[in-house]
Amino acid sequence: MTPLESIPLKLGVSETWQFAGGVHWLNLGSVGVRALAAAMNEVRARFITITAYELPKDEGFRLEYHWDLNGNLLGFPFTITQKSIDSIFDICPAVDWIEREIHEEYSIDFAGRAYEPLLLKPGATLGVNLRELPTEVAK
Amino acid sequence: MSYKIPMGPYHPGLEEPYKLDMICEGETVKDAELHIGFNFRGIEHLAETRNYIQITALMERVCGICSFIHTLTLCQAMEPLAGLEAPPRAKYIRVIMAELERLHSHVLWAGIAAKLMGFKTMFMTCFELREKVMDILQAISGNRVNYSMNRPGGVNRDITDPGAILRMVEALEAEMAHTVIPIFTTSSTARSRCAGVGVLTTEKAVSCAVVGPVARASGIGQDLRRSAPYAAYAELDFDVPVQPAGDVKARLLVRALEIMESCKLIRQALEKLPPGEINTGDDKFKFSTGTSTSRVEAPRGEVMYSVSWKEGARNPARVHVRTPTFVNMPAIRWMVKGARLADTPLIQASIDPCYSCTDR
Repeated sequence: MTPLESIPLKLGVSETWQFAGGVHWLNLGSVGVRALAAAMNEVRARFITITAYELPKDEGFRLEYHWDLNGNLLGFPFTITQKSIDSIFDICPAVDWIEREIHEEYSIDFAGRAYEPLLLKPGATLGVNLRELPTEVAK
Repeated sequence: MSYKIPMGPYHPGLEEPYKLDMICEGETVKDAELHIGFNFRGIEHLAETRNYIQITALMERVCGICSFIHTLTLCQAMEPLAGLEAPPRAKYIRVIMAELERLHSHVLWAGIAAKLMGFKTMFMTCFELREKVMDILQAISGNRVNYSMNRPGGVNRDITDPGAILRMVEALEAEMAHTVIPIFTTSSTARSRCAGVGVLTTEKAVSCAVVGPVARASGIGQDLRRSAPYAAYAELDFDVPVQPAGDVKARLLVRALEIMESCKLIRQALEKLPPGEINTGDDKFKFSTGTSTSRVEAPRGEVMYSVSWKEGARNPARVHVRTPTFVNMPAIRWMVKGARLADTPLIQASIDPCYSCTDR
């Protein structure tokens, strides 16, 4: 079994990898982002980034977490309806700056961590990059 | 008793806006706080208001050193959405341009590192070498910085004088092998300023997820040209230099060896350059709905673009750019811990930071 094949089993997910747009995608259902980060550490995947999207109307946000595993780009989408998701900073220190940037640009709270200003001045308004995705793209 | 020394935001080591607060005890750095965002431009947001022609010109301006890499990554991300594939000749030209850009970036960095070491003769030598690469880039593209070479579906300009590129590569290789590498590795100035300084252990490099030469100088053999080849890299033979020490000297050596590998790649690409078209000839594209992602090994490490488009839309719905300095820079904190304050400009410069990329 390859490390890629082992990930859904480790996470107890019945979904399989779907390859689209250069990324191996896996929908995790109810599995949380902290369990995902722990599993990624276990297979020694390298964290790359989180891409944030504001969904149309009141649908919330989609956060796509990306890791690299032996040259394969992995993607894990999470949809959040409230402006909050668990931080993985303590499990995966490499997320520090991108969590801070998304917090400032989209006003999303990564629960369980403290922030220092990264791009904005202290006290500046959060959510400077808010822009809804068109419904068709958000699907 | 500890005290804080602010360095920056005006040119703390390099001529770019960032700030490091060094927490020192005596001359020894105990910790550091890093601050960016002094010149944040909101380019991702701006990209959502630009069409596919304008966005290529816009993304070229994310970085002045690796401007080609940014448009290459963007075009590689846009091409599947537009149903395009660059012709074989365009893929080879992309390799040649990307490696020329790596040459000038690494030689520029070597010059700046030499200057920070107080080794100004070597600074002048490196900048003279860099000019030769810049002349070739200008001869190919007409420009010294923003080359306007990439477009969705290929490149805009052909390589018409491969002999000139080969002559430059041979001269650069000879100068690197006979002058730059021996002096950097044997001179007491370089050794005393670089060896054992600013160490990033393999363990820390893994946890910080650093990329490019910074990772390879800490014993991590990752390189997208090898692990996830794009353009024509899968058809070319090259080595990925790795050094285990994790200090400034290792980062210097990795880049020096990568210059030699880039020369090897350019020579091979010129030999194998296939005939044919340099682009698909399309100038009006129809984008399908979806998101596409591309990654490229820039001189400083991995660049990633995610591009989302809605069918029929004039502009992208979202463009996300992950630049190498954005992940390499936090590692400076671990490199300067325990270092002498006087070494910190060279240590921060040793990651070859780009704040234009970071403040995208």
